[in-house]
Amino acid sequence: MATTSTVASSVGSGHAEPAHPAHLQHHFVTSEQQFDAAKMGMWLFLVTEILLFSGMFVAYTVYRVWHPEVFQAASKLLDWRLGGFNTLVLLASSLTVAMAIHFAQKDNRKMLITNLVITVLLAGVFMVVKYFEYTSKFEHGIFPGAHYASHELEMAYAPQFFSIYFIMTGIHGVHVLVGMFLMSWLVIRSMRGHFSSAWYTPVELTGLYWHIVDIIWIFLFPLMYLI
Amino acid sequence: MSHTASSAHSAEATATHQGSENYLNHIKTVWSWMSTIDHKRIGVMYMITLSIMFFIGGILALLVRLELMTQGQTIMGPDAYNQVFSMHGIVMVFLFLVPSIPAIFGNFVLPMHLGAIDVAFPRLNLASYYVYLGGGVLVLLGLFAGSVDSGWTFYAPYSTTTNSSVLFLTMAVFVAGFSSIFTGINFVVTIHKMRAPGLTWNRLSLFSWSIYATSIVQVLATPVIGITMILLFAERFLQIGIFDPLLGGDPVLYQHFFWFYSHPAVYIMILPAFGVISELIAPFSRRAISGYKFVALSSVAIAFLGFLVWGHHMFVSGQSAVSSIVFSLITYLIGIPTGVKVCNWVATMYKGSIWLKTPMLYALSFLFLFTIGGLTGIMLGVLAIDVHLHDTYFVVSHFHYVMMGGTVIAALGGLHYWWPKITGKMYSEGVARVAALLIFFGFNLTFFPQLILGSQGMPRRYYDYVPEFANLHLASTIGSWVLALGLFTVLGCLIHSLMRGKRAPANPWGAATLEWTNATSPPVPHNFSAQPIVTHGPYDFEVLRDSFGGDGAGQGAPEPHIRN
Amino acid sequence: MAHAHAHSGDHGHHIIPLKLLLSVFGGLVFLTVFTVLTAEFVDLGPFNIVLAIIIAIIKAGLVVTFFMGLKWDNRVNALIFAVGCIFVIVFLSFTIFDTAFRGDIGNVGKQTIEEEQRALEGTEEAAPAAAH
Repeated sequence: MATTSTVASSVGSGHAEPAHPAHLQHHFVTSEQQFDAAKMGMWLFLVTEILLFSGMFVAYTVYRVWHPEVFQAASKLLDWRLGGFNTLVLLASSLTVAMAIHFAQKDNRKMLITNLVITVLLAGVFMVVKYFEYTSKFEHGIFPGAHYASHELEMAYAPQFFSIYFIMTGIHGVHVLVGMFLMSWLVIRSMRGHFSSAWYTPVELTGLYWHIVDIIWIFLFPLMYLI
Repeated sequence: MSHTASSAHSAEATATHQGSENYLNHIKTVWSWMSTIDHKRIGVMYMITLSIMFFIGGILALLVRLELMTQGQTIMGPDAYNQVFSMHGIVMVFLFLVPSIPAIFGNFVLPMHLGAIDVAFPRLNLASYYVYLGGGVLVLLGLFAGSVDSGWTFYAPYSTTTNSSVLFLTMAVFVAGFSSIFTGINFVVTIHKMRAPGLTWNRLSLFSWSIYATSIVQVLATPVIGITMILLFAERFLQIGIFDPLLGGDPVLYQHFFWFYSHPAVYIMILPAFGVISELIAPFSRRAISGYKFVALSSVAIAFLGFLVWGHHMFVSGQSAVSSIVFSLITYLIGIPTGVKVCNWVATMYKGSIWLKTPMLYALSFLFLFTIGGLTGIMLGVLAIDVHLHDTYFVVSHFHYVMMGGTVIAALGGLHYWWPKITGKMYSEGVARVAALLIFFGFNLTFFPQLILGSQGMPRRYYDYVPEFANLHLASTIGSWVLALGLFTVLGCLIHSLMRGKRAPANPWGAATLEWTNATSPPVPHNFSAQPIVTHGPYDFEVLRDSFGGDGAGQGAPEPHIRN
Repeated sequence: MAHAHAHSGDHGHHIIPLKLLLSVFGGLVFLTVFTVLTAEFVDLGPFNIVLAIIIAIIKAGLVVTFFMGLKWDNRVNALIFAVGCIFVIVFLSFTIFDTAFRGDIGNVGKQTIEEEQRALEGTEEAAPAAAH
């Protein structure tokens, strides 16, 4: 019910606000209403992302419950050092994107751009590590499903583990690439001076997206590499 | 109060001004339609596109019925038959029923019910239309690229081993799913953030409530069909062995994934219909919906309960007996909020001044048909009975009673109800009523025999049948012709209305929601000439009478004696 | 500072202090190291997986609460997030409810119907053959 009062107050206060900021779209009354709506929309979108990944987590859990020993043996084939390193990289990128928002709110354009660039670079590091992990797996004949041809682990249902591994990390990787693209776009826009403490909605929303990508990895890492 | 009256007056001033500017004529180029972010125009574009989809799906349905008219081969071979019923299901479910009411009336009416200029994200709204169109094109490509015969459910492992045009369809479902997600996000945010001053949650129209519940389901369920389609795709291309039993996968897991979306999707299809029916019953009974809060919250309850029952599609799939029992028990619970709704609609009509205009005829046939659909649904939810009736015509008939008798009838009712607002034209009441009756009788003639066929053991999706079933199949096929005749009569009636229809007044039905009380027919580009301030509930017809005088129908409404 | 933003009205948005961001990051790094150490070098048997998931949940909670600012955000957004998580649990638990108990119904065996029939016929043949 809190929202009722928010909307009512923001709509009501609209008449008192004479200036019409450039970023305010015609169908909103106040910037606050526009920001809240955008953020709520983003949270709803993040929920769809969570449910998208939930399907793969369900598949993982089902097969893990059925064949725990296979999954334990298969996860030993993944290098926890690389996975752990990537976890730290993504956590750091989450920090920098949060700092980017912090500096956008403080009108510090230089630090905003710096933090966004660092985020893109960290995401790049993550993808490079991922690339080497994938190629080393392929070299050992570890492919998803029916193409699995590894001699290190010849157990029934080991292909299932790697199918899930490749699909989950693959879709996660696509999300990282999308995030890199969005961040680069934000860098260009902030260099043109589009963002200020009055309006930084795209930075905020992309930040939220990036944190969800991080959270997915926070779960993927122990499930795939450690246990 | 004074504000409402004054804005209504200004609406009246523009309404009486012939050839005044409205959302249809203020700019007329094709590009202005294709690039529009006006929710009303997007609604109209959806209406046209969905009508085409319904037409295609309907023709396929007629072909199925025609083939089943007699035993053995009537017009096509068994393979063609498999493809025709598969495409009928896919087109009708994913391209018509899932978007139907939210995309057409949700887009057109919802922002107006909220007193808003537009939805929260107008560009996303347009994007969702084009994404939907992309999905539609993919489906039609699959139709022409040939031979999809997996049924609309794409059960693995058949779908991963049968011919490859199934891939088109899984792609299409994936793409159309995005459209559904965009619409859902848009409407939830719109309802939360775009309401007019004074429009509290308790003054929200029941249509808005039902769209709200629907949108929540869309947001929560649709991503899962997305990942299911990705996995199915990967299963075909990479043989990942998640669903294919030959590679150690579990086909029942596919069914879990599929029904985690597709059962809630049933509520995506029917919940908006509930909302439309509430909008129809109230003004045509001249009474506020009784038990408003119960009707409103039962939509939300159905939305959430709908997520807990998907396993009742899998009673004979080999899932564990213990989960079958749990799913069966929870399925009964859905009957409670649904029953609350039906009882409240009937209670609303009790001692109301019932006005049997065409929309009300559709509302009444909805009550009749949906109740049959709902009760047969509870029968099918009973574990022991379902084992007997599973995959028979009983199931086919049940979901057609819900989907066609429920959603399509409600959509037709809504179409006749909002037609004057959308187009600014009235239609021929007589012809429309004849069409409504034809549809009602045609529908029952088509699908009631199928209930009997199913209980006698006629399996669904079969190409041929034993001689004992011949008469009922013949009756059903004849029914489908009556039904088609009724639907074509609607089409003719509405096209005639576009060409020759009388100008519609702002509020021909004397309804109390904002699109009728505060806007012209058709509305101006920004919906309202002045920001509406809401001072009464959506069905407070008494208040309406006080502010407008007469029968409360507002300016330009027919005099009371026209009621028959 | 938080109370001023509990209901974000017309005033500005909450600015999360750098110090807080850095200490949350420190916590996340610590938990990552902790989860690696416990999983790789300490054998808790089946509790290894439980511990790892609990740590992951705590880490995700930190990110959501502080980095994503849900602590200071509109309550509705927190509700949306919570509902999303609940439905993941519903999806997971109801599916497991089937897969973990698969085959609990008596007449569903691993054999096909044909195999069962053959087995049945085999026993009948072993029994008095005169029946045929």
